Amino acid sequence: MTLLLPSRGRTPDPAVPGPPRRRRLDLGVRLLLVACVLLVVVGSVIPLVAVLTAAFAPDALPRYAEFITSPVDLGILRNTLVLGVLVGLVGTALGFLFAFVQTRLAVPGKRVLHVIALVPIVSPPFAVATATVVLYGRRGVISNGLFGLEYDIYGLDGLVFVLSLSLFPVAYLGLLGMLRGLDPALEEAATNLGASRWRTLRTVILPLLAPGLVGPFLLLFVEAIADLANPLVVGGDHTVLASRAYLAVTGEYDVPSAAVYCVILLVPSLLLYFGQRYWLGRKVRTTITGRPSGSVHLVDNWVRWPIYGLALLVAALIVSIYGTVLAGSVTRVFGVDNTLTLDYLEEVLAGVGREAVLDTVVFAAIATPIAAIFGLVISWLVVRHLRRSAALLDFAGTLGVAVPGTVLGIGFVLAYRPERYLGPIEVFPSLVGGSAIAGGAAAIVVAYVIRSLPAGQRTAVAALTQIHPQIEQASTDLGAGPLYTFRRVTLPLIRPAFLTGLSYSFARSMTSISTIVLLVTPETKIITSQVLSAASTGRYGVAFAYCTVLTAIVLAGFALLRLVVGAGANLHRVASPVPQFPRSRDTERPKR
Amino acid sequence: MTGQLRRGAERTAALTAVAVAVVLAGAGCARDTSGSTPDAEDGGIVHVVCGATEEWCAATTARFSSTTGVRADFVRLSSGEALARLKAGRGSVEFDVWYGGPADGFAAGGAEGLLTAYVSPNAEVIPARYKDAGGIWTGVYVGALGFCSNPKLLSERGLAVPDSWADLLDPKLAKDIGIAHPSTSGTAYTALWTQVVLAGGDTDKALGYMRRLHPNVLQYTKSGAAPAQMTARGEVAVGVIFSHDCVAAKEAGFPDLTVSFPAEGTGYETGGVALVNGTKNPVSARKFVDWALTVEAQEIGPTVKSYQFPTNPGAKVSDKVVDLHAIPLVEYDAVEAGAAKTALNRRFDGEVAQAPKS
Repeated sequence: MTLLLPSRGRTPDPAVPGPPRRRRLDLGVRLLLVACVLLVVVGSVIPLVAVLTAAFAPDALPRYAEFITSPVDLGILRNTLVLGVLVGLVGTALGFLFAFVQTRLAVPGKRVLHVIALVPIVSPPFAVATATVVLYGRRGVISNGLFGLEYDIYGLDGLVFVLSLSLFPVAYLGLLGMLRGLDPALEEAATNLGASRWRTLRTVILPLLAPGLVGPFLLLFVEAIADLANPLVVGGDHTVLASRAYLAVTGEYDVPSAAVYCVILLVPSLLLYFGQRYWLGRKVRTTITGRPSGSVHLVDNWVRWPIYGLALLVAALIVSIYGTVLAGSVTRVFGVDNTLTLDYLEEVLAGVGREAVLDTVVFAAIATPIAAIFGLVISWLVVRHLRRSAALLDFAGTLGVAVPGTVLGIGFVLAYRPERYLGPIEVFPSLVGGSAIAGGAAAIVVAYVIRSLPAGQRTAVAALTQIHPQIEQASTDLGAGPLYTFRRVTLPLIRPAFLTGLSYSFARSMTSISTIVLLVTPETKIITSQVLSAASTGRYGVAFAYCTVLTAIVLAGFALLRLVVGAGANLHRVASPVPQFPRSRDTERPKR
Repeated sequence: MTGQLRRGAERTAALTAVAVAVVLAGAGCARDTSGSTPDAEDGGIVHVVCGATEEWCAATTARFSSTTGVRADFVRLSSGEALARLKAGRGSVEFDVWYGGPADGFAAGGAEGLLTAYVSPNAEVIPARYKDAGGIWTGVYVGALGFCSNPKLLSERGLAVPDSWADLLDPKLAKDIGIAHPSTSGTAYTALWTQVVLAGGDTDKALGYMRRLHPNVLQYTKSGAAPAQMTARGEVAVGVIFSHDCVAAKEAGFPDLTVSFPAEGTGYETGGVALVNGTKNPVSARKFVDWALTVEAQEIGPTVKSYQFPTNPGAKVSDKVVDLHAIPLVEYDAVEAGAAKTALNRRFDGEVAQAPKS
């Protein structure tokens, strides 16, 4: 063997168990680390540095003084923060509501509810907002037509409504995985000791879920304050930093001002991020085993009905909004002229839009597995293998969502549009724009990956912190290398989180707009930028048709992913009355 | 064996490096000689940054290809966005032609060296007021700014269809007016510059009017045409937009919409076509500019619900197009408007759009 493969002689043999110290990294782990670092550096650090260079250039510095002395600018900052907190709270609450109904209530129609709750993950930009205006606006089909109200949804209330509904599925999926991963034995124990349902929820379930609740809150917060499409449609005079930055960039190409707004926008995101890390670091929450044992006792008294009713109401709202998108794509002007027409769908599927549909699907299909795998690997490295640099890598991975998409887009343009020369030798080709390699497609795929990677990373970090390291240590103690352990032990345990990461990456790629809109070229048309174009010129029928097609594609993608990755046995724990791992339970129990 | 492999890898790397160097030398050349690219380097394709509606852009590029045999594709961007995109692309030009959108933006782009002068032989027939004296841009259509009203909402508020700029300041129209933001939208900038002209060139007075209008504005949209849809749906009672966008909305299923014009005089846009500085396909790009001024090109608009007035006197005018001679127009100097654009938008941004509403 060694004679045939002499070059391998120097690599450390992975079969030899090293000392249990985790400081010296295995070669495979090191390679993975290099790959991850390379990705985040190219995808987010370099563009961000390009923007920061602009933000701290001498001509931008006076803008900071202007900002902190101007009541208007400070008002915008306050607007932004208020929006983030409200959406974070409402969205996480909605996610918990749906996850709780799904895992702890004995009610009918849960599968339908699950599907409905997943639908908004495919919220194409503008779809929810425009449909909301159509239904619940001043002349809304429902608000005005049904109830005779003339409610003004433009502003904070409309934004919170639209954003919470669009973003809550992230919270839902994460919390669902975690609620199902909770060991029912703990709840059983609490109930046996005489605790009421409410007390169990308050003192057992919620503290166990806390890391999982903070994750979605943070994610929703940063997504809400970075959101661009919705403030453009229903923002009213509730101006936020992201849309200010966008106007500065797209309206005037005033990079310094935009960069200043974005630096200020980054501050709350970073504060929250480090606050969360500190908070998580203080409390260790792990279930006894990685997999739940025993079965859940579902709530079956009267309490379930009001909770269920609330979930049904939210589901009805979602259905009405997506129904409008669908109806809007096959009627001339939904709510005004309900004549059926296939013109819009035809334009999208057979006409101008076909190229966009094809391009978008191909790019998203390339980006999705890359994003999900890197998200998982980064979270694994962060939680299990790195010490001092863990925070740094975790943070770098999260940049794709912490940095507003518009800024990332501008960063791409600043960093990658020009070819980089080192003397006469070209060291880095142009990636962005019509004259770039592959017609600008490479930059779009990288942007997709970077923008959708944090979602998988967050859910995986949350899932991994719930699994006790000893489970993996047992594997390493038995002689398995870290990569083998990862593949055979860790991965199966967090498969639901991986599935979430994949699904969410795909949906995010397909619906990403704020970065992409700056990167589309004549040769690479993207559905979302077509939607933007159609919606902003008032062609709602076409916009709705694009959204319908987009939603259909993403849902088909979800189905495919579920087939390929598998839903995972622990996604349906509730259904099986017999514990599936009696042996592991027996061996664990005496340890108490 | 490893030695052979390594040599193979080296050879591949070297070949790749040579290939990349050759490609880049070509690209470097094209960049160095920007503005005066040798005609031989034409790629036989035109990349258009298009400011008209998606449908019009699509129909125009398709017809251009079928008529001339030259491939063409486009990206639709609003006026301000197109300008920003061209600025960002300085040094590695991705577009060849800018087509559609108010000439103010073209003038601003010309002043920044983003466009290059080209006087098409076909531009002779275009009236002088619809083209740039320096040849930076040539007009392909004209559209007048107007008010797009929803009569049902107006009558509910006890108001008549507005026929003066002052009518829009009525407190009864609180949060009932739709207009775009001049930073992104050429339409809204036309409205802003119209106020400057009406105020005799006094920008303070013009911004003063916009400030008084501010409490009545529901929100500033990104695209100039968006208020048409908002008016049609009854989200606002009046939209300040180009009249042809209102006509298009009527066609799209809102027959009740009413177009009116302010008696003081209204602004108009000259939609331009221009050559991008440093274009990599100069021959095809010029061919596109030439063709865009022909009767054939200018009669495409009405077939895709774009009812602008054609600049070529020979082009047939649809009966849905607003007769520009029948409405009071201000003296709109696109060059002057373009020169003031950046500074004025910045003032609007600071003094009007961020002002807290009462």
